[in-house]
Amino acid sequence: MSAPSTTLLTVPAAMTPAVVTDLSKRAGEILRGGGDVHLDCAALVRLDSLGLAFLTSLHRQAEAGGHKLVLHALQEAPAAVLAKAPAHPAEGEETPVPKLFEAVGGGAYALALEWKDVALLLSESLYHSTLGWRKPKTLLRGEAVTQMIRLGSTAISIVLLLSTLIGFTLALQSGLQLEKYGAAIFLADGIGISMITEIGPLMTAVILAGRSGSAITAELATMTVQEEVSALRAMAANPFQFLVIPRFWALTVTQPLLTVASALSGIFSGMVVALLFFNIAPQAFLNQLQGGVEIKYVFQMLVKSVTFAWLIVFIATVKGLGVRGGADAVGRAATDCVVTCIFAIVLADALFSFFFYL
Amino acid sequence: MTTTPNSPATGAPPLRIRGLRAGYGTRVILDGVDLYVPAGEIHVVLGGSGCGKSTLLRAATGLERPWAGSVELFGEPLDWTQGRPADESFLKIGVLFQGGAMISSLNVEENVALPLRIHYPDLPRAALRELAHLKLQQVSLDGAGLKMPGELSGGMRKRAGLARALAADPALLFCDEPSAGLDPVTSRGLDDLLLELRETLGITMVVVTHELDSIRAIADRITFLSTGKVIFEGTLEEAASGPEEVRDFLNRQPSSPGTASADVIAFHLES
Ligand SMILES: Nc1ncnc2c1ncn2[C@@H]1O[C@H](COP(=O)(O)OP(=O)(O)OP(=O)(O)O)[C@@H](O)[C@H]1O
Ligand SMILES: [Mg+2]
Repeated sequence: MSAPSTTLLTVPAAMTPAVVTDLSKRAGEILRGGGDVHLDCAALVRLDSLGLAFLTSLHRQAEAGGHKLVLHALQEAPAAVLAKAPAHPAEGEETPVPKLFEAVGGGAYALALEWKDVALLLSESLYHSTLGWRKPKTLLRGEAVTQMIRLGSTAISIVLLLSTLIGFTLALQSGLQLEKYGAAIFLADGIGISMITEIGPLMTAVILAGRSGSAITAELATMTVQEEVSALRAMAANPFQFLVIPRFWALTVTQPLLTVASALSGIFSGMVVALLFFNIAPQAFLNQLQGGVEIKYVFQMLVKSVTFAWLIVFIATVKGLGVRGGADAVGRAATDCVVTCIFAIVLADALFSFFFYL
Repeated sequence: MTTTPNSPATGAPPLRIRGLRAGYGTRVILDGVDLYVPAGEIHVVLGGSGCGKSTLLRAATGLERPWAGSVELFGEPLDWTQGRPADESFLKIGVLFQGGAMISSLNVEENVALPLRIHYPDLPRAALRELAHLKLQQVSLDGAGLKMPGELSGGMRKRAGLARALAADPALLFCDEPSAGLDPVTSRGLDDLLLELRETLGITMVVVTHELDSIRAIADRITFLSTGKVIFEGTLEEAASGPEEVRDFLNRQPSSPGTASADVIAFHLES
C-alpha cells in the first residue's frame, strides 16, 4: 500500500471545515518535510465545494514543490466532483495583508435599531472581543489599526491648528485681565487647567465628531443601504463585530492621544503669548504651570476624552446602521450624526463639570 | 452519494411560511402570505414591481421581522425573541440579494469566500482562494477575482453575489432576480447553472424573477403575489387557466387594458 517512509492520512466521510483545517496542517508538515502526501479516501463519500477547493489547492501546492498528492481508494461520487477542478489556478497574487475575522459570538442582532439595542449590542460585542473571547484570535487587529490611522491622522492637523489658535486667544484675553492686578503669571495656571480639563477634550471631541463621526455614519449607512449589512447577517455574521468594534477601538485609542496633543499645543501657544505680551520667561511659565496643574486634571482629561469617543462611536453607529431609504438618506444620517454628537458631547461635558467640581 | 435530492417525504420541507404579515412603518406590504417549498424544488415568486417579493425573501431569511405568521426553515421555526439567529446552521442558506450586496471593502475573491471564512478563520487561505476561483468559474466570472466590487458592472456584481451565495454549498438558495440586467446568453447560462445545481446537489431554490424565458426554463412551481396576497400558486401549466392577472402577466399584457382611455379629462376644444 505505502512505502515505509510515507504516512497515509485518513480522510473521514465528509470534508467539513474542521477536517480541512486539520488535514491542511498535517499535509503542510509532510510537504515541508519533503515527502509526498498520501490521502486515504476510502471513507470519503461526500466532497463538497470546500473539499474540492482544498484538494485542488493541496495538489497545486504539492506540484509547485516538486511533490505529489496521491488519493487512495477514491470512491466514484467524489471522483466525479473532483473532475470539475479547474486546471489553472486563479490569476494574480494573493492579497498580501491578511484581514482577520472573529467568529461570531452567538450575539443577537435586533432589527429595529433603537438606542437601547445598540447599547446592549455594543456592550455585548465588546465583551466578546475582550473578556469573553474564547478562541485565541484577536478580532480584526489589522482593521482596527487601519481605522486608527484613518480616523486619527486625518484629524491631527486641524486639532493642532485650532487648539493653538484658541490657546492664543484665551491666553491673551485672560492675561490682559490678570495684568491689571499684577498677576499675569497666573496665566500659566489658567491656560494649563482650562486646556487640559476643558478646551482640549471638548475641541478634540467636536472636531472628531465632525470628521470621524460623520465618516463612520456615512460608511455604515452606505453599507446598510446597499444591503451589505444584510448580506453579513445572511452569512450569520454579527455586523457589530465586523464593522463597529474596529472603529470603536480606533477612536478609543486615538481620541485621548489627540486630546493630549490639543492640550499641549494650547499650552505652548499660551507660553508664547506670555513671553511676547507679558514678558514672562518660558522657565517661569513652566514652573508656575507645574505648581498649578495637578495630576487629577490629567486624569479628568483622559476620562472625558474616552467618554466623548464612546459617545461619538455610539451615536454614529445608531445613525449609520439605523438608516432607512436610499442614497439620500446617507447624507442626512451623517449630518444628523454630527449635530447629535455635538449636543451629546456638550451635555456630557456639563455633567462632568458638575461631578468633578462638586 | 448523500447529496441526491431528498424526497419530500423524508424530513421537513426547507421552507414553509404561514400567514406572513410584514411591512414598513404602518404600511402593510405582505398580508397573510403562505409559501411551501419542498426539497429539491425550484420555486419562482412572481409579481409586479414593488409588490413585496424582496420583502418576502427578507422575511424568509430572517432579515426582516414579520408582524405576524411563522417562518420555518428545515422544520425549525425562526425564533424572533432572540433577534435573528446567528449561528453556523445559517450557512445552509444562501442568499443572493437584488443588488449583489458585495462588501465594498473586500475584493471579489474575499467576498466569495467570506461566509466560510467568517465562521472558520483557520481554514487555509489557499483553499479558500481555490474555492472562490471555483465558484467564480461557475458563474463565468473567472478573472474578476481580484477586482473590487466597485469595479464591476451591475450584472457582474449580481453573478459575484451568486458565487458567494453558493460558497458554503447551501441546501436552500434564495435568489432575488438573478438574471435581471444580464444579456440573454449569460442569463441562459445562469438558468442552466441553477438547474444543474438542483440536479447535482439537490439544492432547493426560491427565485424571484421577471424574465419569462427564465421562468419557463427553471420553474417547477410559481407563486404569484399581488397587493400583499398570494393570488396564484401552482405549476406554469396550471397558471394558463389561473386568474386573469397571472395570465396577463405571463402573456406580457398590461392588466385590464381599455380602462386607461376612459379616464381622461375631456378638454373643451375650440377651433
Ligand atoms: N426599507 C423600506 N422602507 C420603507 N418601505 C420599503 C422599504 N423597502 C421596501 N419598501 C416598500 O415596500 C414595497 C415592496 O418592496 P420590495 O422591495 O419587497 O418590492 P419587490 O417586489 O421586490 O419589487 P422589485 O420587483 O422592484 O424588486 C415597495 O412598495 C417599497 O416601496
Ligand atoms: Mg425586489
